[in-house]
Amino acid sequence: MWRYIARRFAYMLFTVWVISLISFILIQLPPGDFATKMVSQMLSGGAREVPPEVEAQLRAQYGLDQPVYVQYATWIGKIIFEGDFGYSFTYKRDAIELIFERLPMTFTISLFSVLFIWVVALPTGIYSAVNKYSLSDYLFTFVGFIGLAVPNFLLALILMFLSYKFSGQALIGLFSPEFADAPWSLAKVLDMLKHLWIPVIIVGMAGTASLIRTMRANLLDELNKPYVETARAKGLSELRLLWKYPVRHALNPFISTVGWTLPTLVGGEVIVSIVLNLPTSGPIILESLMQQDMYLSAGFILVLSTLTVVGTFVSDLLLAWLDPRIRLQ
Amino acid sequence: MGDILLDVIDLKIHFFTDEGVVKAVDGVDLAIERGKTLCLVGESGCGKSVTCRAFLRLIANPGRLVSGEMHFRSSTNGTIDLAQLDPKGSAIRDIRGKEIAMIFQEPMTSLSLMHTVGDQIMESVLLHENVLKPEARDRAIEMLQRVGIPKPDRLVDEYPFRLSGGMRQRAMIAMALSCNPTMLIADEPTTALDVTTQAQILDLMLDLQRQDNMTLMFITHDLGVVAEIADDVAVMYLGRIVERASVDTIFNAPQHPYTQALLRSIPKIAMQRDELDPIKGMVPSPYRRPSGCTFHPRCSRRIEACNRIVPSVTELAPGHTVRCLLYENIQETEALQHG
Repeated sequence: MWRYIARRFAYMLFTVWVISLISFILIQLPPGDFATKMVSQMLSGGAREVPPEVEAQLRAQYGLDQPVYVQYATWIGKIIFEGDFGYSFTYKRDAIELIFERLPMTFTISLFSVLFIWVVALPTGIYSAVNKYSLSDYLFTFVGFIGLAVPNFLLALILMFLSYKFSGQALIGLFSPEFADAPWSLAKVLDMLKHLWIPVIIVGMAGTASLIRTMRANLLDELNKPYVETARAKGLSELRLLWKYPVRHALNPFISTVGWTLPTLVGGEVIVSIVLNLPTSGPIILESLMQQDMYLSAGFILVLSTLTVVGTFVSDLLLAWLDPRIRLQ
Repeated sequence: MGDILLDVIDLKIHFFTDEGVVKAVDGVDLAIERGKTLCLVGESGCGKSVTCRAFLRLIANPGRLVSGEMHFRSSTNGTIDLAQLDPKGSAIRDIRGKEIAMIFQEPMTSLSLMHTVGDQIMESVLLHENVLKPEARDRAIEMLQRVGIPKPDRLVDEYPFRLSGGMRQRAMIAMALSCNPTMLIADEPTTALDVTTQAQILDLMLDLQRQDNMTLMFITHDLGVVAEIADDVAVMYLGRIVERASVDTIFNAPQHPYTQALLRSIPKIAMQRDELDPIKGMVPSPYRRPSGCTFHPRCSRRIEACNRIVPSVTELAPGHTVRCLLYENIQETEALQHG
């Protein structure tokens, strides 16, 4: 068991390192850098000509003239030893501040989406599997596939329209205007919960649909296993044996994918976040990449991927706790 | 016959698949005597497993119990017709595991690998008897001891995937016997084990049966096993029992051509023979069962009427029945079936 944990932990560290390396290099790959960007902004801002010396000076000022590996070493060294994630060129602020402004909201939506997905997908998948080829199974399958196929931003627009039509108030963003800059209070939390359901449903929709399918398929496999018949032959009632044996066996993929919600939220839901004006990390990452604001984007990618890897590590631990075959071998 | 524990009359179980109806069990009559060992023998796919699962109403979709009666002498509730019970109801659940227990073929997959051996044994006890957890745990340990598992107080907390095949099957037996069932159904419990372990498990089962005066129904296609353990034998072919007799009669004076062919097909060490003597032909497709007697295309003694008339059960001697036209008055049967 401890060896298993130690090994997983070592993998985790290694993965994070590789991610930091790759993300840093990838960000450097597009032609030009922040200095080029600034020069082109100056030019379009009315400057007739920007002398090459200025551009070089800008580069030196931000350390962009050094080779990539030196830049990487300085960047990662500062993060590890000083907790300094570098400086955002566009926001003229420390990258870490911006990251921690956005992260809690990303996390909240992520967490609620996972809960939403589980609460909806688990029972629906079980019901579909047990009542295979029934009318309700077909209905859930139909709804599930629609959930998978409809682009999320479209769903976001529809829900926004509906919420406006029926409550007279567009539930955009996570807070009502009066709470947007207010300090945290119970009223603000309640206000947030009022707004939260739309992004949670939208973000969770595709995940729910696919998890219903996964659960249904897994459980169908398990339902015909001999150990289910053994349990039935003992005299257990259908419901009790269902929960104790096949569902428990079919749960593994649920647990092992918990850690993946964060990247899908960040990667796939940028458009949704922009449409719904959500203060999550998706839009700001997109912007920083477009502006070639390298430390901000690299910082975001590093933090989010670290959290994802940690999430996967946690689900590995959960899996070991749930499944003795993993724990004892 | 003596004290009948379970009396099965004209049992029919059909599977309604997309390709057609499979008559897996098609008119089985079987009386099981209390305290005896009955072996149900037949080739793969003849319906042995389906028959015994029907006793516990464990037939899953698309299978359905089409007709028949199964009168069971319950130790608490008098005689119950198992065929009338709701397969998901509490009446059959009270019988499962408590009065009729079952052991399956694959000890690897028939136990849940995510639950400890003890947990799975205690479950039956807690379900059927009014005991608390510590007591159920003691019972589980006691049962493991009885089935010859070393260090039962430690193995009770072990997971099945850490046990050998033989140990797993012992644990399975311990589980089945934990509530002292009147009848034990064993569906090829030794098929997945190696020969040495097989012999040990058979000995164990016979021992336990004698100690508890339990009725044992043993399903197998291994005639060696039959010779060793059976009191009575029922030979099954394509959903029907073709011959039923005491083990001596089956081995020494079999009457049905199928039983005879089956016994001929076993190689004997004492006899010098170069070739095996298998039963001719193949088991027919379940969707296209032969008319009349289902064995007639492969039968070496078939007569003209065999493809027309379904033989009925003929009693040759007390306790010895056969389903074959050679032993019955054909005119009478024909008149009955077509008149």
